[in-house]
Amino acid sequence: MNGARPLLPQGAELAAPPNRAKVMATLFAALCLTLLPWVDGLRWLLPDLTLMVLLYWCIHAPRLVGLGIAFFLGLVTDVTHGLLLGLDALAYCGAAFVVLSLHKRLEGFDAPRQILQLAPLLLGKEALVLTLGLAFGRGEADWRYLAAGLVAILLWWPLATLLDRISGRPALPEKAVME
Amino acid sequence: MPHTPQAPLFVREMALPTRFALYVLVCLLLLALDTRYSALAWLRGGLNAALHPMQRVLAAPWEWSQDVAGFFITHGELKRDNDHLREERDHMRIAQQDRQTLLAENNNLRQLLELPTRPDTASRVAEIVQTVPSPFSRKVIVNRGSAHGLAAGWPVVDAAGLVGQVTRSYPLTSEVTLLTDRDQGAPVQNLRNGLRLIVSGTGSDRLLEVRFLDMHADIKEGDLLYTSGIDGTYPAGIPVAQVVKTEPPRNTPFARAYCRPLGGVGRYRHVAVLKPLEQAPAPTPKP
Repeated sequence: MNGARPLLPQGAELAAPPNRAKVMATLFAALCLTLLPWVDGLRWLLPDLTLMVLLYWCIHAPRLVGLGIAFFLGLVTDVTHGLLLGLDALAYCGAAFVVLSLHKRLEGFDAPRQILQLAPLLLGKEALVLTLGLAFGRGEADWRYLAAGLVAILLWWPLATLLDRISGRPALPEKAVME
Repeated sequence: MPHTPQAPLFVREMALPTRFALYVLVCLLLLALDTRYSALAWLRGGLNAALHPMQRVLAAPWEWSQDVAGFFITHGELKRDNDHLREERDHMRIAQQDRQTLLAENNNLRQLLELPTRPDTASRVAEIVQTVPSPFSRKVIVNRGSAHGLAAGWPVVDAAGLVGQVTRSYPLTSEVTLLTDRDQGAPVQNLRNGLRLIVSGTGSDRLLEVRFLDMHADIKEGDLLYTSGIDGTYPAGIPVAQVVKTEPPRNTPFARAYCRPLGGVGRYRHVAVLKPLEQAPAPTPKP
């Protein structure tokens, strides 16, 4: 089996598994990126980078990130949005829970194939925030913000590749075979 | 599990679904506390104060680039600006003289009629540092907070008119809800005939509306609406909006009027936050 994935990690991955510092640094960088003063007219296109990086680490380092970090990041996002406290925290915890329970399956796919499974989550998070905001009586929702979910889907592949490079994970072989 | 480093030999923690259920409970509790009782101001304030320096640092390069762009301004532009400002200053001086005499006359008349004097307001200038990235509300963050003496409820104006109201004050920043937010309203008076109305936001930057208007109310296109001062929050006489269109009642017993906000809602960088009146507002005499 030439292209088969080895049972044990080899090479770079074995030498440098994702460590806590790297995970925290990338999460912090993603949070900073979302806090940058973006142009107001394009706010609704801004994907939730914090959530994407969080989900990446939920797949590849489920021992280092968990629901606690998801909850905390959600709270911080809530405070920066000035919206209801706990709204994004709930969405982040939900997404992290789904990915953590499926991480063994998701780990076996490469980034483009992961998109198909993560798309409902990334879109669903935006929809959940909008619907819950409506349910808790925050006036009219701006439904253009759903587009942020679509942008997040498009950005998953480049982001996962970048994080692969950062964490030193070797790319999966072309035809990964799940034994 | 070879792919998950730092895996413990024995699992000593709660199962994932249990932990998830706990976190969901906490989130729902937070949501309920925040919406129903607004009991979490301290948590929000604390986290915001911790995040504020980070946001300032992140915004700094952008501000520097603005400064650098502002440095390379031509002599002609400066001269034109200067002339324009000089002209405007002269106009202002004349208007100010007018205002002084009118104020004196007003005070005299009030004394003659034994009405309480018009209360004065103090103002504080603040700079808009950020808009709130939320699909629900029209809010901005200004760089003055409770440390500078600001408090929730204070009206915010700019050179052209009413902008909004401070809705949350954090230690170093404050959240200003713009007049165009759907939940925001201001009591106004029609300048032409003194008709009292309430103007509310629609969620769009260029449109305000008067929702429950009497079918026969005398309001026309082009009317100017000023704050009436009867709510004790907004001082009287701040320009708010100009009527753009009136709509006869269709399915409801009420008519509607649409207006254009006069203040630069979402346009200016600097705003003035007014300290509200200490004592009960003086009753505005009907014209």
